[in-house]
Amino acid sequence: MKIVACYNVKGGIGKTAAAVNLAFLAAHEGARTLVWDLDPQGAASFYFRIKPKVKKGSKGLLTGKKTLEDVVKGTDYPNLDLIPADFSYRNLDLQLDEVKKSDTRIQKLLKPLASEYDFIFLDCPPSISLVSENTLIAADAVIVPTIPTTLSLRTLDQIVEFCNKLNIDHTKIITFFSMMDNRKKLHKQIVENPPQHVRVLDASIPYASDVERMGVYRQPVPVFAGNSRAAKAYRALWEEIKSVLH
Amino acid sequence: MKSLHSAQFIVSQSIDSDAIFTLLQHEFSLHETDHTRLKCHYLDTFDWRMYQKNYVCSWYQTANKRAKNREGIFFIHEKETGNSICELPLSRVPKFSKDINHQAYRSMLDNILGIRALMTVAVLTVKRRQLIILDEEHKTLALLQLEQYTIDESADDDQPAGRLIVCPVRGYPKVFKRVVQLVTEQLKLPHSREALLDEVLTVTGKRPDTCKLTGFQELESSFSTWEAVRILLQHLFSVMQANEYGLREAIDTEFLHDYRVAVRRIRSILGQIKHVFPDKLLAYFKREFSWLGTVTTPTRDLDMYLLKFDGYIQALPDDLQQHLEMFRLFLQRHWKIEHARLCRALDSKRYQKLTSEWQKILANADMPLQREMSTGSQAQETCNAAEPARIVARQRIWKLYKRILKEGGSITPQSHDEDLHELRKSCKKFRYLIEFFQDYYVGKSMKQLLKTLKQLQDNLGDFQDLCVQIEQLNGFAEQMQQEGLADTKTIMAMGVLVERLNERKTALRAEFRRQFESFIQPEKKAVFVEALRVQQHEGVTE
Repeated sequence: MKIVACYNVKGGIGKTAAAVNLAFLAAHEGARTLVWDLDPQGAASFYFRIKPKVKKGSKGLLTGKKTLEDVVKGTDYPNLDLIPADFSYRNLDLQLDEVKKSDTRIQKLLKPLASEYDFIFLDCPPSISLVSENTLIAADAVIVPTIPTTLSLRTLDQIVEFCNKLNIDHTKIITFFSMMDNRKKLHKQIVENPPQHVRVLDASIPYASDVERMGVYRQPVPVFAGNSRAAKAYRALWEEIKSVLH
Repeated sequence: MKSLHSAQFIVSQSIDSDAIFTLLQHEFSLHETDHTRLKCHYLDTFDWRMYQKNYVCSWYQTANKRAKNREGIFFIHEKETGNSICELPLSRVPKFSKDINHQAYRSMLDNILGIRALMTVAVLTVKRRQLIILDEEHKTLALLQLEQYTIDESADDDQPAGRLIVCPVRGYPKVFKRVVQLVTEQLKLPHSREALLDEVLTVTGKRPDTCKLTGFQELESSFSTWEAVRILLQHLFSVMQANEYGLREAIDTEFLHDYRVAVRRIRSILGQIKHVFPDKLLAYFKREFSWLGTVTTPTRDLDMYLLKFDGYIQALPDDLQQHLEMFRLFLQRHWKIEHARLCRALDSKRYQKLTSEWQKILANADMPLQREMSTGSQAQETCNAAEPARIVARQRIWKLYKRILKEGGSITPQSHDEDLHELRKSCKKFRYLIEFFQDYYVGKSMKQLLKTLKQLQDNLGDFQDLCVQIEQLNGFAEQMQQEGLADTKTIMAMGVLVERLNERKTALRAEFRRQFESFIQPEKKAVFVEALRVQQHEGVTE
């Protein structure tokens, strides 16, 4: 089982879209795949049309009253399951702080699922918090979507710094350019001269209306626009991520 | 992925999707899809390895030849529960475990199939109508599939009954239970008690019965030698026949292997159970089955090289590994030539004559006994035919055992490789005879004997294989140069490979003594002697 965290401190940069589309592509190839929507906003759950509700909430999971296995929901796609978001996740930080070994609790919760899934995608909330620390520790790879702008690159540096501070192997961090707009000179310049201190994938996700339309169709891009530029970009991204994970 | 059991019901022709729709629409939001026609290929090995492990393998593809997406889906289900173990998109019917990309499923299949290929055991056209139960967000909560089946190559009136399959979606058990309750109580549909594959096999008259290929019919202690030998030879001939199609079609390498083992065993009976056949007839069959062994050898040898090829590559240093690929190409090219030659031999009049003569002999229950009456010399030739099989066989086994002790005991570190080969042949004959006539001995002691013998045989077999491979590899290298397939690096890679094989050969030779000594340990020997001892009064002509 490989755990892939889709993470960034910033919001609205295509994190959830990446988690949903990559998970769909993995499942479509036959890999047993799970998405855990850790963001209380519940965007991933929304895309899969699953109610953002977990019985007994995050507290139930942390106290052991419920296991992750109990709250898994099947999506409309073969081999693809989801653990939905829950409003209680907004307090997950505080709740984690109250339990022992608080930084590895998510890793511990995921452990029993190891034989059941090939890939688990964590759709992380946009923050630097104990939840982020947990997901960074649990993940085999941390996928950081980055808009090719100066401020986004600064955020990427902060994430690397955060990892270093926590003694987390920062080579886990894999970034790709998201919402890339070829018409913008700055975007092109940054893509041509990517940062050297972190792994940047060749594949990038374009700024495309098909990605936004995921919210209209409530489906992954390859389902409603299989031959679109965005779908092809996600496929290329998934191929590259797979080769990094192996 | 944790899956819930689907529920399957038998439906009559009169039930259609409208009736189910009407039943469920009061409680659920429903979406009905169009009819789809699918081709379902049920897959298993020649010897039903998946079925034996309680799995059903299938590959589905749309039957609409003009459909845009014709990608198939490969499934593994649990036979009893119908639970889906695996669902993988796959563009063509998989043959070997290596055709599956998914690591966990590939290794699962590898453990079950080994080197055997999946073959299509039945093809079914599935006409499916699907009802999807949705919530207010249009999320699927359960699926209902109404299916009608037509088995290809089966009469119209002899088809499996249609089914209604209720598929749960994980996390929504209440909906599933309610649908099952409604279907059971309101439509009064009976649950299907049998896997669809079983029903299909019943209709097509196929049975996954592997016993007839692996086990011998029990030999009664009252059997004469001819009676016992005839049963054994009939069985071995049926194994040959059963494997002939697969070896001609090159479905997998085991067909040829099993065919050759059956031929070798027939030859072993002809050679070891003396004075059963008249001399002239015996000479003919011995010669012809030996020919059959010879014509199948080159293809089998090349099969072995190709099966071991990945191991050969691993044995080489990294920088030389890629240079062995030309050798693989050479082997594949020659395999095609040799296989075509083998098929021609099987099409030949000589082979047809052999099989028809052989069938004639085996059909004739009293043949050797009738000859016995004709002349004095022929009576001598077939004098063991009417003797009790248990005595004749036991005596021969005892003799072979003594021969193994003698041959093995005389092998020293200075002995020629051929001496080990001779011992190997004796061991093989000995093993075959014990297996043929196992009904006549106490099981436990014989099992112990066979276990130790097997280890000795593995050592001798691997040693002999290496001797042949080392010799042939040098010949292949020359041949490849003549055919323009070998550059210096390839020859160098093959040279290093020969070195590695020589190292392994030396290690096996050193190991031989330990294996042989284990075989002749006094306590084991005593058990064998007890099991094989021929009573004084049971003496017959050798």
